Amino acid sequence: MLCEKCGKNNATTHIKSVVNGVVSEKNLCGYCAAKEGYSGLAHNSLAGMLASMFGDVTGFAPSVAAKKCSVCGASFSDIAESGRVGCSECYKAFYEELLPYLKRVHGGTKHAGRVPNKAPLMVKPKEITVDDLRLKLNELVREEKFEEAAVIRDKIKEMEEKGNE
Amino acid sequence: MSNWYSENRENIVVSTRIRLARNLSGLPFPSRMTAEQFSELNEKVKEAIFESNTPFAKSMSFIYMDSVPEIEKYSMVERHIISPEFAANSKGRAIVISEDESVSIMIGEEDHLRIQVILGGMGLEEAYDIAERLDYLLCDRLNVAFDSELGFLTGCPTNLGTGLRASVMLHLPMLENSGEISSLADSVGKIGFTVRGMYGEGSKATASFYQVSNQITLGISEKNAIDNLKLIAMQLIEKENKARETLNKLKTEDMCFRALGTLQNARLISGNEMMKLLSGIKLGADMGIIKVKESPIKLFIEGQPYMLMRKFGEMGPDERDIYRANMIRETLN
Repeated sequence: MLCEKCGKNNATTHIKSVVNGVVSEKNLCGYCAAKEGYSGLAHNSLAGMLASMFGDVTGFAPSVAAKKCSVCGASFSDIAESGRVGCSECYKAFYEELLPYLKRVHGGTKHAGRVPNKAPLMVKPKEITVDDLRLKLNELVREEKFEEAAVIRDKIKEMEEKGNE
Repeated sequence: MSNWYSENRENIVVSTRIRLARNLSGLPFPSRMTAEQFSELNEKVKEAIFESNTPFAKSMSFIYMDSVPEIEKYSMVERHIISPEFAANSKGRAIVISEDESVSIMIGEEDHLRIQVILGGMGLEEAYDIAERLDYLLCDRLNVAFDSELGFLTGCPTNLGTGLRASVMLHLPMLENSGEISSLADSVGKIGFTVRGMYGEGSKATASFYQVSNQITLGISEKNAIDNLKLIAMQLIEKENKARETLNKLKTEDMCFRALGTLQNARLISGNEMMKLLSGIKLGADMGIIKVKESPIKLFIEGQPYMLMRKFGEMGPDERDIYRANMIRETLN
């Protein structure tokens, strides 16, 4: 597609803007986009400052950007654009996507503060531990499924070696 | 009853603030809430606090923001009780507040609950203790959104974890004068703290008052965040004090008395002029060069536009300059 403005270069910048509810779209080449003041787009909005920590939403696969929280309906692009999540369940729905950014902002990703006496939400997908595997191993041995048990045994060994490094 | 700003403290540390961000499970965050959900939230919090038989229940009032006149609302911003964002978007929201305004909960700001404790002078541990007690009360009675990995879940991921923002407001005229404050702010920024103006996020420093606060909330305990903030504040205070030692005594004295002379005699004072002069007077008072009858910080807050209108009625900026000058003249003479 050629740039709508100069008609010479390839259109590399796609601008979608919503002004008073009216959606307009433009396809410009980098040169014309810069001339029209469309560089550093992410900082255009009020929430831009916050949103900038998520980087450019267009960098995500469309399937990720369109993914929605089943509880509040916020999509990942809503979150990336506003810099705010829609509800507490969003952290569960978008845990994988948010994790790298949390790391960038906070350095750590594991809560180290006060714990209220209430059941946690469990946003992180549960990791399989060595203990889980041992239970599985015992079960398989009891059922005399030795071939499968051997695979699990090797896995345990591997995990333990990793842990000792 | 004394507010954080009413006592005279000859100290670089003007005030201490602790804020905890909390949300309830099962309700979207305020940016996606309906009017019905705001009233549901208000009632839940009201019930949790006032049906508890704790000292908090007896000392706090519950106020619907719709019943608060505009002037009062913005004067609360000037007294640092609510955020400018909350004042501007207060429809259907509520606040729980103690009589001396040192303890408050904004309901439906960026998070469902914003617990705030603000005290005069340096009092990080004391302020945190109060906030934590109120937090225990709320967490026991409400279904607070929490996850063992991410901690307290908040509207903005920058507050995840402890949801704690601890800050101290410092008066740093010498570091501002020498320009050193901007490089100090940069290095403080690199270790997860921020230095900004008096009225929080995005605000410029007013009359050499700076707020230093923690930025990182995930992966650090409340105690560590507070201890680190205290260390940084102490270093800034030490640098400010060192710079004050190099001051020419006569010149400083002259500056302070000129400022006092203007405030004691002027018939018209703009907000900016007042803040600048009071900053000079505070420096002189803290150094023992001059004595003032009233805390410069108290005058500073009471001379803000909405605070003046709260006391004397609605008026334009020109008229405020007259009332401001009168109020200060009467207090300082």
